[in-house]
Amino acid sequence: MAKISVNIDEKNLEVEVGKTILEVCRENGIEILTMCHLKGISDVGACRLCLVEIEGVNKLLSACTTKIAANMIIRTKTEKIKRYQRITSELFFAERNHVCSVCVANGKCDLQKLGYKTEMDHIRYPYLFPECEVDTSHPWYVLDHNRCIMCTRCVRVCAEVEGAHNWNVMNRGNKVRIISDFNTPWGESETCTSCGKCVHACPTGAIWPKAIVQGQLEKKPEMITELIEKRKMNL
Amino acid sequence: MNRQDLQTKITAEKAIDLYKKYKPKLCVCCGAGCISSGSEEVLKKLEGEIKTRGLENEVELIPTGCMGPCNQGPLIKCLPEYTIYQKVDCSNIKAIVQSQLIEKKPIEDLLLFADSRPKPFIDAREDPYFKKQMKIALKDCGHINPEKIEDYLVQDGYAALDKILFQMSPEDVIAEIKHSRMRGRGGAGYPTGLKWETVYKYVSNQKYVICNGDEGDPGAFMDRSVLEGNPHRVLEGMCIAAYAVGANKGYAYIRGEYPLAIKRIESAIKQAKKLGLLGNNILGTDFSFDVEVRIGAGAFVCGEETALIASIEGKRGTPKPRPPFPAESGLWGKPTLINNVETFAGIAPIINNGGEWYSEIGTPKSAGTKVFALAGKINYSGLIEVPMGTSLREIVFDIGGGIQGGGEFKAAQTGGPSGGCIPAEHLDVKMDYESLISLGSIMGSGGLIVMDKSSDMVDVARYFMEFCMDESCGKCVPCRVGTKMMHDLLQKICDSKGTKIDLERLEELAVYVKECSLCGLGASAPNPLLSTLRHFRHEYENRITE
Repeated sequence: MAKISVNIDEKNLEVEVGKTILEVCRENGIEILTMCHLKGISDVGACRLCLVEIEGVNKLLSACTTKIAANMIIRTKTEKIKRYQRITSELFFAERNHVCSVCVANGKCDLQKLGYKTEMDHIRYPYLFPECEVDTSHPWYVLDHNRCIMCTRCVRVCAEVEGAHNWNVMNRGNKVRIISDFNTPWGESETCTSCGKCVHACPTGAIWPKAIVQGQLEKKPEMITELIEKRKMNL
Repeated sequence: MNRQDLQTKITAEKAIDLYKKYKPKLCVCCGAGCISSGSEEVLKKLEGEIKTRGLENEVELIPTGCMGPCNQGPLIKCLPEYTIYQKVDCSNIKAIVQSQLIEKKPIEDLLLFADSRPKPFIDAREDPYFKKQMKIALKDCGHINPEKIEDYLVQDGYAALDKILFQMSPEDVIAEIKHSRMRGRGGAGYPTGLKWETVYKYVSNQKYVICNGDEGDPGAFMDRSVLEGNPHRVLEGMCIAAYAVGANKGYAYIRGEYPLAIKRIESAIKQAKKLGLLGNNILGTDFSFDVEVRIGAGAFVCGEETALIASIEGKRGTPKPRPPFPAESGLWGKPTLINNVETFAGIAPIINNGGEWYSEIGTPKSAGTKVFALAGKINYSGLIEVPMGTSLREIVFDIGGGIQGGGEFKAAQTGGPSGGCIPAEHLDVKMDYESLISLGSIMGSGGLIVMDKSSDMVDVARYFMEFCMDESCGKCVPCRVGTKMMHDLLQKICDSKGTKIDLERLEELAVYVKECSLCGLGASAPNPLLSTLRHFRHEYENRITE
């Protein structure tokens, strides 16, 4: 594979062409915060946490969707980016009803970790407290909209890995919601195979298996990545 | 129909037209604006009256597209005198036929602007409203029947298509467009020739041309009027673009709220296909190009090119991060050229008259003309087309007739919810891409909302923010949550409950949403807020409680 040289955070690197900035950073131990990215499934650039500054480009670009190019000079941890990451994190928390102390994902939640990583000590924006449903109609799993951050990892894993297309998004703006089939209860879904991939793909406590309580959730998103890679090998 | 048959047809049509040159014509505006004020009834009544008097062979009745001064409608234009009658209703028909057609005398009380100008003009072209305008994209709007391809052919319609197919290579066409220095009329002002060249350079067995007619800015109706007034011009532009970039399939994406525009472009496509101007082997050449209409379902965000493409593909209309740009990977992953309706409408004149001609109109950096939709507290709201670089003062006062009720001009909003306001002290600003950006606004698609002293600028910012908040697709966090937060903070200030800290938060969020959003909707959503803060900061500060 052809190699190109790039500079990331003042470090000169020789990297393979065709990779995204995020892949290159992760391979070289440069930390990039993400919420909507899950290795193996398609990237959508929705959470805007992985924005990086590239010299000569007049806007911030999402590392997960931008392919690396020769001689790029990239900065991932400028003061501006850190400030923006913190605002994003605060907006996530203010948007829906995230109460860590009662959440099944407490201690294992990517959103919670994001709060620590961005050194968020307060949320400066008023909480929106939207009314959100909890769908418990599925025999094994629960979908709690209160804890959903609309990363759409469940939608993509269901469509791209399981091929069931059970999940989708409805409405616009801050009224967007994840829906099962055509907005019917999950338990009545005609497409869901109950495979549980969405449970592991979800970065928060929005989708979880029944019969567990606060802090007991075990998620293995890396299992999905492994599955995708093993399938590729079989092909 | 091959080239020769078509030329024979055009020659015949032109001969008929010449024969009819001195025959009186009554053009009745049947654009959406005039229809809503009753022009269809006027047309029916006029038809009946002409029949009763047995004048069918003496006069030609033409239902046309938009003539411009929409709030003065229904409008009737009498040719060859160029007398325009305004606010015509069914009770005036008898009098108009009697005095205009039989006595050959205009009715002074019904003339255009008769109720607002001391002395209205019998030849409307002498009125400053028309004198200061220059019509390129709208040239045939208001003269021809948009549902009759023959009317357009007589006006040298499809001559540019003929010219490129038989005399020019795709490279020549691109060079001509580049030479014209035309910039995209959708809002961002990206050089059209450069865009075409980029798509041309990508090698692919399949490319697409898309016409973006999802005009969503509140107060903007340029694209609607172009499509209603002369859909063939847009089709011709698309054909030329397809030939230049190497595409054989096109989509005209029109918003669902424009049923008349959809109907007219669909009938235009049918007629053009019948004459061999669209479809396989156009005019007998190797070039094939087909256009299909796609109807938008009401989402503002679908005017953003990547969301529009997703919508055509049958997916949820949400934007994608760029790069890759549609020129590289657009519709179904293929190289795609996407231009606005008004851009396509400007292509044929450039080919016919040369890029040099076009580049000399307007300002050095913004060539050509721009269509603006005047709305708000202005006397003559409607559609105008002026050379780039015309001052805002000329547009508002000379063309638009000043402020309603003799009020005082306060600000004009350009670019709708993605733009900003221009205050009175900058009335002499030249309307071109760069000057507007330097004032913190944008050209946008051409909506121009005029506000007088009664407008509260904080409320204006709140209104546009509410619009963006509702229209955000909800995909990325800055736009989905950021616009909601900014809206709530603006509402708080409007209610005189805001504090200094709220204002600081608002400014911080505005910059954040602008820089971090995924697509243009979010990136431009803070513009009305930022520009009102820049020019009318005192109005915010007056509302703040300590």
